[in-house]
Amino acid sequence: MDLIHQLFTDYTLRMVALGSATLGVVSGGLGTYAVLRGQSLLGDAISHAALPGIAVAYLLTGSKAPLVLMLGAAGAGWLATLLIMSVTETTRVKYDSMLGLMLSVFFGIGLVLLTYIQHSAGASQAGLDTFLFGQAAALIQRDVVTMAALGGGALVLMVVFWKELKVLAFDPEFGRTIGLPMRAVDILLTALLVVAIVIGLQTVGVVLMSAMLIAPAAAGRQWTNALGIMVVLSALFGAAAGVSGALISSTTSGLPTGPTIVLCMGAIVAVSFLFAPRRGLIWRWVRTRRHAGRFHLEAALLDLYELGMQHEDPFRPHEVGALDVMSAVPARRLLERLEASGLVRRVGGSRWALTESGLQEARSLKEERA
Amino acid sequence: MGMRTAIEVRDLTVAYRDKPVLWDIDVTVPSGVLMAIVGPNGAGKTTLIKALLNLIRPAAGHIEFFGASYEDRRQEVAYVPQRGSVDWDFPTSCLDVVMMGLYGRIGWIRRPGRKERGLAREALEKVGMESFADRQISQLSGGQQQRVFLARALVQDAEVYLMDEPFQGVDATTERAIIELLRDLRARDKTLVVVHHDLQTVTEYFDHVMLLNVRRIASGPVEEVFTDENLRLAYGGRIAFLRSEPVGATAT
Repeated sequence: MDLIHQLFTDYTLRMVALGSATLGVVSGGLGTYAVLRGQSLLGDAISHAALPGIAVAYLLTGSKAPLVLMLGAAGAGWLATLLIMSVTETTRVKYDSMLGLMLSVFFGIGLVLLTYIQHSAGASQAGLDTFLFGQAAALIQRDVVTMAALGGGALVLMVVFWKELKVLAFDPEFGRTIGLPMRAVDILLTALLVVAIVIGLQTVGVVLMSAMLIAPAAAGRQWTNALGIMVVLSALFGAAAGVSGALISSTTSGLPTGPTIVLCMGAIVAVSFLFAPRRGLIWRWVRTRRHAGRFHLEAALLDLYELGMQHEDPFRPHEVGALDVMSAVPARRLLERLEASGLVRRVGGSRWALTESGLQEARSLKEERA
Repeated sequence: MGMRTAIEVRDLTVAYRDKPVLWDIDVTVPSGVLMAIVGPNGAGKTTLIKALLNLIRPAAGHIEFFGASYEDRRQEVAYVPQRGSVDWDFPTSCLDVVMMGLYGRIGWIRRPGRKERGLAREALEKVGMESFADRQISQLSGGQQQRVFLARALVQDAEVYLMDEPFQGVDATTERAIIELLRDLRARDKTLVVVHHDLQTVTEYFDHVMLLNVRRIASGPVEEVFTDENLRLAYGGRIAFLRSEPVGATAT
């Protein structure tokens, strides 16, 4: 394909692909913990809160170097998290109210500062507004290196503190009773989430970045029951969505990157919710149908047996109507399916009787249920 | 039965926003006993367990395990929380949950290895769950979840076990299996403190009991303190509905 050929030859496309893969892997992997802890919305608050940090960092330094802006974003995101934690701990304000409040207040400040910068600065200095919806095409090598270094560091820490993070996500109170410093681990995880968010802001934008934390994990959970595999799958899903979305938006003019990536991620989530074995909707639907189908068939067979036994002749034929009275679904179709399995036979017209193997099956079913 | 004191609580007060949940509690738990904590809803039973474990900061009071602070004795104290306190859809297996009981000793960075897996399997065997080792925890029934939590505490090989409603929502067979396990631990001179809600079985299951309703109503050997009068003090007038069998003349 032409796009794949370009990927290896075109500098911009290569940077876009590498950068968005990095952000996908990091946010997908770490987002797993946010989702398992029920902290999906914290990511949303952090990413929105990062906007004023970016603006302030630029206003203070006049630099648009990725590290400077990321530090600003991380600082503001961290400050918002601290405010959320301390206010909910010391007052009666609910956690979710505080999340919503901090998200909108910080985002509002960010928008005001951004507008101020756009109006006061020369045209050459504009461009911070790409942080709203993201712009992958603007990624250069310096950005990608910064993202990879920070994100790689965060992933290494996640692996190093694997079992502590696992206990934190599953049962933090128990973790404290076995002597693990759960508060410190909590702070570590929040810091890692902040890192995962800020490295994606330039590409995905503050508005939709939290989707890159939540959606890969939600999709990954569908396919596995093991935490390790879930983290790897989420990272892969995040990378796949990141790369495909960023490439589509970079090769089509006027398409913002963040929404495109999120739509790609949405497709992965939809497929996972529908088709995953065991947890997927279709799998569950089929299973329910199969159970219900078998249940009705067995019931019809037993009904026929009971009717026969009332006459002390298990092979005595009966009218469909007699079975219909007892069956929740039309008995005729059930009998036809039983006939195909050789358990019943038609005795002229609409009368049906058990076969020898049908009788055996009915008896063993009766025993099973007794 | 050991004569040492396993747990010593003095003047323990816990408050949530100015409202006392536990008020001036004194209780002594001798080692090697199987003790129930009973009391009506909101009596502070869970709070007491959590305060013992330093999960809740008390407003006042002093707690010792074998004459030292909880922090010094942490290794000797195991905790079985209410099974409803975690999300059982968490992507992990029974064996993994049991191994968490060992995470405190494994040390930083290191992963649980063959030795830890062996210990966890042994603990699962003790609760009759060895065939469920690799089972995803969301597929467990309530009684099985409870037994996995028990195994996670057993693997810690502690001296004191603090359990919050281990019989909650389990079937009769599991309840018998669990009580056998607790008696077994007592026979090995372990100390067990169990939040319990079924007054009918207190006399049968436990040798010590603490009646709690924000304040300590009574605590000591079951035959001495599990009296109608103390129950009335703990539960108020509703006691007639709670107990079908009167304790008898010794009550007054």
